[in-house]
Amino acid sequence: MHINYWRELTRSNFGKLGLVLLCLVLVIAIFAPFLARYDPGEPSLSILMPPSFAHLLGTNDIGQDIWSRLLCGAKNTLLVALGVGVFTTLLSTVIGASAALVGGLYDRILMRVIDALIVIPAFIVIILVAAYVLPNVWTLIFLISILTWQGGARLVRAQTLSLKERMSVYAARTFGANKLYLVIRHIIPDLSPILFAVFIHSATRGVFMEAGLAFLGIADISTVSWGLMMHHALRFYYLDVWKWWLIPTGLALSVTIMALVFIGHAFETAMDPRLRKMEQEDWQC
Amino acid sequence: MRKIPGIGTYAIAFLIILVLIFLLPRMMPGDPLTAICGEEVLVEMTPELRTELLHRFALDEPLWSQFFVYLTGIMHGDFGYSYYYNAPVLDIILEALPWTLLLVGSSLLLSTVLSIVIGIESGWRRGKICDKSLLTTTMILNGFPNFFIGIILLLFFAVYLGCLPLQGAKTPYSGLAGIDSMLDIARHLVLPLIALTLAQIPGSYLLMRNTMITTLKEPFVRTAKAKGLSEVAVRYKHAGRNAMLPIVTTTGVRVGIIVTGALFIEIIFSYPGVGLLTYNSLFMRDYPILQGVFFIVAVFVILANFVVDLLYTKIDPRIGDDNTEYAH
Repeated sequence: MHINYWRELTRSNFGKLGLVLLCLVLVIAIFAPFLARYDPGEPSLSILMPPSFAHLLGTNDIGQDIWSRLLCGAKNTLLVALGVGVFTTLLSTVIGASAALVGGLYDRILMRVIDALIVIPAFIVIILVAAYVLPNVWTLIFLISILTWQGGARLVRAQTLSLKERMSVYAARTFGANKLYLVIRHIIPDLSPILFAVFIHSATRGVFMEAGLAFLGIADISTVSWGLMMHHALRFYYLDVWKWWLIPTGLALSVTIMALVFIGHAFETAMDPRLRKMEQEDWQC
Repeated sequence: MRKIPGIGTYAIAFLIILVLIFLLPRMMPGDPLTAICGEEVLVEMTPELRTELLHRFALDEPLWSQFFVYLTGIMHGDFGYSYYYNAPVLDIILEALPWTLLLVGSSLLLSTVLSIVIGIESGWRRGKICDKSLLTTTMILNGFPNFFIGIILLLFFAVYLGCLPLQGAKTPYSGLAGIDSMLDIARHLVLPLIALTLAQIPGSYLLMRNTMITTLKEPFVRTAKAKGLSEVAVRYKHAGRNAMLPIVTTTGVRVGIIVTGALFIEIIFSYPGVGLLTYNSLFMRDYPILQGVFFIVAVFVILANFVVDLLYTKIDPRIGDDNTEYAH
């Protein structure tokens, strides 16, 4: 039985709202160069200005236009979301699926390591490593992915174990299909819903972690990151600037995370047969 | 059913942490001495001190004997020396730890109780206005990173309204004693605690609500209703109590999330715990403190997971040496 996940996603209210919000952030990221009226990195002499027609959200402590920086931050955030999402999903798939398919000692050792890694709080490891490495966007994406694949790998492994016992796989094997063919034609396509769920989860976590690290001050100064903007803005909380500097930036970040959380929730509800049925009842009444 | 990982898994986790702290500074390009001792050490660096430090960390010897020296140090409770604070790392961390424990402990308790109660109520009223608004509110809350929740609370209650203290864990030099001092500490705890708890609720609430909904379909709930038990008894004593199990099992994982969240919340409210210490050490590149904090926090989280697993087998006898997950 195959479920049309896209339809399930657009049917739920959370799914719809999440997609709309995500598209909004995407449009902002794409059209940022046209919407921004100043170079986001360009300092000027007019510092800590309140909002005006020239500067929609005022300027920061070194005279950069906050509105332009806010728009440009969307690109950085989406880049991290996509990067961490793709890379983590890839790692989880390779490790989880290979553990399930190879089995034996390899599987047992990997599962032990995964169990152990899940206990260790990943964010704290990343803070320690990042303190040494001082990452730029790409190393950060790599770092977050390499330290957070374990949960996804366990999911993929469990799903692969059940998939490989399916009748269709068995039938293909009796027709003489080799292992590679089975993986490419049967296992991977049937894994795709799980992979999408892992992707959305990792992307959400990536956005949150990037913002958190930048908020702690661990970020490349040259990137325009929402977390870094909040890090700088918080130092001026005693002035009125938080109203147009700190709050809009935080809201932009929250809207992005919210969009991903909504999509993830709608998708997971669609995947869980028990929950799917009742959420439909829920939202119809 | 969830399998109990067993002591071996925790031993592996502990080993990974030990090796990570050991290897990280030694793998970095540049002077490993700076990477181990922090950049502040350069201020007072003399050739004598350098030879002494090289000898202490056995940096002129092969890697395995360095590891042995490092392990012996940790066994003796020696986590290094902070040249910024001019004190042993352990002393500095132990000074900050009680505040973090207070914050994390109270938040764990509050968020668990709150999410269990609203999860039960929400699941019981599935599809009704009450459930839908609770679900929508928590989903929106879920989108807010913990540090932004903290910032909003700080700006609204402490800066805008000015009704709660802005920073710190107690009023300095107030000379308060006894009950007044405790009230003062409580007043300072309110905002960080609410921020941390709000950030924590969505995850546990959603888990509780989903389990409650599936539990309500079980035959024993119908039996309880048919026996003529009161609604409250069915909801809490029969369905709720069974639906609580996943919340209990995830306590260990939640401790990890709350501790991480506390790092951020402490920075926002300048709460003098381990998080603020980490923040200042990141700024000063005081690596010994960072390593010490990481070690203690990670070991604390591992222990929390271990204790929860031990307790869980006691609470739910259905779990135990169920090894079905590995049977494949």
